[in-house]
Amino acid sequence: MKIWATIWKEFLLLVRDPGGMALIFAMPLALVIVMALIQDAPFRDYQEIKLEVLLVDQDKDSLSYKMKRALESTGNITVVKENDLERAKKLVQAGEFKASVVLHKGTTQALKKKTEQLIGKIVRNMGVETPFIDSIETSPVPLDLYFDPAIKVNYKQALGEGIEKIVAQVQSEWIIMELQSQLSSGENKHPKVKFNPGEMMVVNQQYASDKPKERLALNSVQHNVPAWTMFAMFFILFPLASNFIKEREEGSMLRLRLISGSQFPVIAGKFSFYFFVCMLQFVLMIAVGIFVMPLLGLNELVLGSNVFGILLTACSVAMAATGYGLLIAVFFKTPQQALSFGSISVVILSALGGVWVPVYVMPEILQTISKFSPLQWGLESFTDLFLRNATTLTILPNTFKLIGFSFVTLIASFLVHKSRIIS
Amino acid sequence: MSGAIVQINNVSKQYKGAQQPAVSHLTLEISKGSVFGLLGPNGAGKSTLVMLLCGLLKPDEGSIQVLDLKVGESSAAIREKIGVAPQEIALFPTLTAHENLFYFGRMYGLQTEVLKKRIDEYVNTFGLQDKMHKRVQTFSGGMKRRLNLIAALLHDPSLIILDEPTAGVDVQSRNMILEFLLTLKAKGVTILYSSHFLEEAERICTHLAIVDEGKLLVTGKPDILLAENPDCKNLEELFLKRTGKTMRD
Repeated sequence: MKIWATIWKEFLLLVRDPGGMALIFAMPLALVIVMALIQDAPFRDYQEIKLEVLLVDQDKDSLSYKMKRALESTGNITVVKENDLERAKKLVQAGEFKASVVLHKGTTQALKKKTEQLIGKIVRNMGVETPFIDSIETSPVPLDLYFDPAIKVNYKQALGEGIEKIVAQVQSEWIIMELQSQLSSGENKHPKVKFNPGEMMVVNQQYASDKPKERLALNSVQHNVPAWTMFAMFFILFPLASNFIKEREEGSMLRLRLISGSQFPVIAGKFSFYFFVCMLQFVLMIAVGIFVMPLLGLNELVLGSNVFGILLTACSVAMAATGYGLLIAVFFKTPQQALSFGSISVVILSALGGVWVPVYVMPEILQTISKFSPLQWGLESFTDLFLRNATTLTILPNTFKLIGFSFVTLIASFLVHKSRIIS
Repeated sequence: MSGAIVQINNVSKQYKGAQQPAVSHLTLEISKGSVFGLLGPNGAGKSTLVMLLCGLLKPDEGSIQVLDLKVGESSAAIREKIGVAPQEIALFPTLTAHENLFYFGRMYGLQTEVLKKRIDEYVNTFGLQDKMHKRVQTFSGGMKRRLNLIAALLHDPSLIILDEPTAGVDVQSRNMILEFLLTLKAKGVTILYSSHFLEEAERICTHLAIVDEGKLLVTGKPDILLAENPDCKNLEELFLKRTGKTMRD
């Protein structure tokens, strides 16, 4: 009865505090939308590489044709032709294009010549007469790649490897064709077999998921919605601490201290109420992820299939956030102290927890420290649940950590609060 | 004094960092059914003594018994039986008067029917029936004081402790509060009345004590104290005689 009375009182205090309501609901919703929009481009940048590449085609032969077609078939690269090599270099240097592929005059013919010579020697060694010369030109045929000095290393690597792969495919195609050509020369006429390197082997790339056809890669929405939801839940300390300290300063807490047996209901009631507020925040933010984000041109939040696991994680995060807020509220004596320490500590915990940027892009030392952030425990669980369809068993260790954190902060809050009753 | 409801024995309390004790070797008894005036200038130690009685402060030395229970060992049990109206307006400003009283009544563990009955009774007594659904932040100082007093009475306490209950109120509100205290006095309810309004004390107190700088200067029945000090025509003169005319911060 006393706990319910406190929950109802906290409800009335909150609904009559427009600033507190805005801080709890409106601002986090705005924050998650803004952050998802801002980080959408960088996330796409990482995972959906879009590059504009200049092709300086002085060769004007089959290699340049195959190169252009192969680059464009990746879907990530747009090829723009440029005849002037110096102008191409300047455009790349200025950052207008990420790279320039230069096929010098006679590249196709030189490569074909080398192939002819190589196959001629092989065929002759096999005892087959061939009219082709067997001396091999040792210097390799050059193909130049110029990169934007500001290009990301992984882009440079991907593009370089892509070009080498295309060249290797063209070479193997020509080698097979040349081999067939030389072996069927003279009296040994054989029908030629058309060779397509793509028919030899196919590399299937897919996500290791129960539903591999679903697009479940980490995107801006999948990262930002759970991340900023937890950030908002931990910011519950603002209304919690400010109301608590206000009650202390205004005297109503003194009256409660004068009422025997009211201390546990006061703490338990506040904890319960703000726990429900956190859960409400969670539901609202998830709803925004599912229904509002697609309207803004962002991905729809995909929750995975473990609803129980999601609820369990949300409850444990809400408990941890409320416990932390309560501890800040009882420990500090002025709103300035509580709110300054509280907000900075939540920002630090969230940064370490991977809210701002994913933990995997952090330095190793920070990745180690991040393991101690409750926000990291929650975010890791949500990522496992949303993207990997994790089982409840998988997320239990993080859940236990969050609940343990909650109990420690709750007990500490109660003890600190009780110790201040008598001084 | 026989039938003491409060016994304060040689109690001292000094706050951390303070240069002198707020209460110093103070011994006092309050008998059952009395209206005991605790008088003193600002900073005399009255509020500290009230907090010591409620068990919210721990004395550095000495002992206190309230309702035959030792403060410190049985503070929770004592708080169940006493009603305290602190000097601060100990209410939630953004809640209505009814919401405040209902919440505090619930925290006292009162059942709904009993609580409703008591709230109705007291708000009628204090003339707040039309204001019950207004937020406390819109109340005048006098209305807040009356509500503050009602919140201390909801659980029907055996001892009522009032710390400056008429501070900052208008004449009408003050009169209403004093009239109510006189009805309680007539019913034999024990009241500890801390104030520096001497004419109020003269009007309602059966016993009083004047304290200053944490020390007990004088205690007894007002008429006897005045008789013992024939040079003082009233309590104010006795008060000034005992505490001096030096200004207090």
